[in-house]
Amino acid sequence: MAAPVSTEIKSNYLTALKEALAEEMERNPHMICMGEDIGPLGGAFGVTDGLHAKYGRERVYDMPISEAAIVGTACGLCLNGKTVMVEMQFIDFISCGFDQIVNMTATYHYRTAGEVSMPMVIRGPAGAYGGGALYHSQMNEAWFANSPGLKIVCPSTVYDAKGLMKAALRDPNPVIFYEIKDLYRRREIEEVLPTEDYIVPLGKARIALEGDDLTIVTYGQNVYHALSAAEKLKEEGYSAEVIDIRTIVPLDEETIIESLKKTNRLVVVNEAPMTCGFAGEILSRMAEKAFEYLDAPPVRVTRLDTPVPWVKPLELYVLPSVAKIVEAGLKVCKF
Amino acid sequence: MATTTTDTDSTQTNGEQSPVSRPSDRLTHDDYRELLKQLYLARYFDVRLIKEKKRGRLRGTLYSSHNQEAILVGSLFGLEPNDWISPIHRDMPAFFLKDCRSGWDNPDRMGMTIEELCSQVWGKATSPGRARDNWSHIGSKAKHIIHSTSMLAGTIPAAAGVVLADRLNGLNTIAMTFNGEGSTAQGVFHEAINFAAVEKLPVVTIIENNQWAYGTPTHYEYAQEDFARRADGFGIPGFVADGQDVIDVFDKVMTAVEHARSGKGPSIVECKTFRAYGHGDHDDDRADRYRPAEEVEEGRKRDPLAVMKARMIKMGILTQEEADQHPAEGKGAGEVTDHDFPEDVVAYLTRGVQFAIKAPVPDEAEGAMWVFREEN
Repeated sequence: MAAPVSTEIKSNYLTALKEALAEEMERNPHMICMGEDIGPLGGAFGVTDGLHAKYGRERVYDMPISEAAIVGTACGLCLNGKTVMVEMQFIDFISCGFDQIVNMTATYHYRTAGEVSMPMVIRGPAGAYGGGALYHSQMNEAWFANSPGLKIVCPSTVYDAKGLMKAALRDPNPVIFYEIKDLYRRREIEEVLPTEDYIVPLGKARIALEGDDLTIVTYGQNVYHALSAAEKLKEEGYSAEVIDIRTIVPLDEETIIESLKKTNRLVVVNEAPMTCGFAGEILSRMAEKAFEYLDAPPVRVTRLDTPVPWVKPLELYVLPSVAKIVEAGLKVCKF
Repeated sequence: MATTTTDTDSTQTNGEQSPVSRPSDRLTHDDYRELLKQLYLARYFDVRLIKEKKRGRLRGTLYSSHNQEAILVGSLFGLEPNDWISPIHRDMPAFFLKDCRSGWDNPDRMGMTIEELCSQVWGKATSPGRARDNWSHIGSKAKHIIHSTSMLAGTIPAAAGVVLADRLNGLNTIAMTFNGEGSTAQGVFHEAINFAAVEKLPVVTIIENNQWAYGTPTHYEYAQEDFARRADGFGIPGFVADGQDVIDVFDKVMTAVEHARSGKGPSIVECKTFRAYGHGDHDDDRADRYRPAEEVEEGRKRDPLAVMKARMIKMGILTQEEADQHPAEGKGAGEVTDHDFPEDVVAYLTRGVQFAIKAPVPDEAEGAMWVFREEN
């Protein structure tokens, strides 16, 4: 990770993604971008800003508001040798293209016995905590984790945003890429990025904080809630290790198991609703593969089984928070 | 401006010289004989597989194309080898009819071999998809056949995508998608054609309007007399063809193909036909529960084999005696025998069936393979 640094200009999460797209468009002449308002406007958040000016409509398509047509056309382009970046204006809208993703694209390699690959990245702004309400706040990764054939990525740092995006765009499989829109312009997480080409491989977790007494596994925005919770737990005398899994599929089970060998206590946090959320999947796998290392029943912290409401008190009430993670941490430590 | 052509007069004129030039004017007598042969081949494929199924040799469901063969044969006949097609469940013969003009046994033909297709039906490892999904759910990137799924109209956007990629690569291919009228109620049907119209993509959408979507008649599916008029809403041409007449299908579809190939964009061709039997072989015996017997009898009257033979006799390409030699027309799968078909048609398919029967089944461990592509 310690690539040489030749500039002191810091990038934010959004510019890191922009750079990743721009560099991959330059590197791969067969890469095409499709989405709503991604052309001259540069997308609702500006992630594709500048691509249309440089490459024109031959490679950057403003599409009708038809997620099924966007994903389906991308599927045909991939079938015929192209790499496609599909932007969902908000990841919530991905449901409108669901069938094209799970039944057409995700299964293509499988049902053709390997004849066809689908190098497609479907990316979009995701996540709550910003007052986006029901349809601009979702984390719906569990839908896709339950659909074999899709990789799922969710970076929490600026470095990872760029490196994972570049890895996703070079992967021959379809990837759903969750960008945490609340992090797009967050000043505190800005960092200086390497000037040379780098990727962060899919399927390798990151230890965001080392600790000895409990392991908090999470991804996306909750990495920061977990880090704040770790500070609070420290005041209570418990040292938390925080693991940012980075990719939901494939999941780096090894890093989690290795951590549990040391801490023997597990808290998993995800922003999606509890039932069939990915936190439950991690708990199950650790129950199967690391039961002997556990000294306390593992605990998950998730959104309540509700949609995400609009106004702040209601929104925060249903979502994971620093306080809820601290409470879970104390529970496993004091068992 | 959008134009919807509802002219089906070529059926009535039955081969008389029309003052308007038609794509079929360019067909030779040999082409007519080949078209008739292909109609036999498609019909024989259907009835042979029904018989094989009744003997308990096959798993899965056959969605019969009986009585609808003129649509497949007439639509595919004018395509270039590198054009793309996207068949659905009722179009099994399309997989080998594609690029048949390059020679049924030409190994470089851009269509599936009869051995490959039969291997798929029998669930064998020699199927292009190694029998991972059933029956019509195959395709071939190499042969430019988009892999079909159960999601109706679900491959139309992929058809738009493959020809967009070809266009970006400087190639002038077209994509032809086959759809039942039932699938036209799907949102993705409209989303995909709308985008193809915006981009002027060479996508020809064939609607096989066989009047029934499983158990639901057209009047519960859409509120237009001619489905092709939906094209007006996309700003593209819509054509209506007599789906029983392979020459009328060829004329309308080739008009659409030439429109697409010349860069003018997509169009819709509605081929009016009738589903002669059940939705799948599983409901053959129950079909009269939801379809009046008179309607079925009426719908079966204009067998595409008979329509083509009458046309060829009138044009002097076929004698009545030759036409009577292989009287498959008007007979159901239970009534027809191998003697009702040309010997070379029977031999061709028999070769595929025998190959498939002897071919190995895939290893069970393949069930967990190819979820992801591992290497770059």
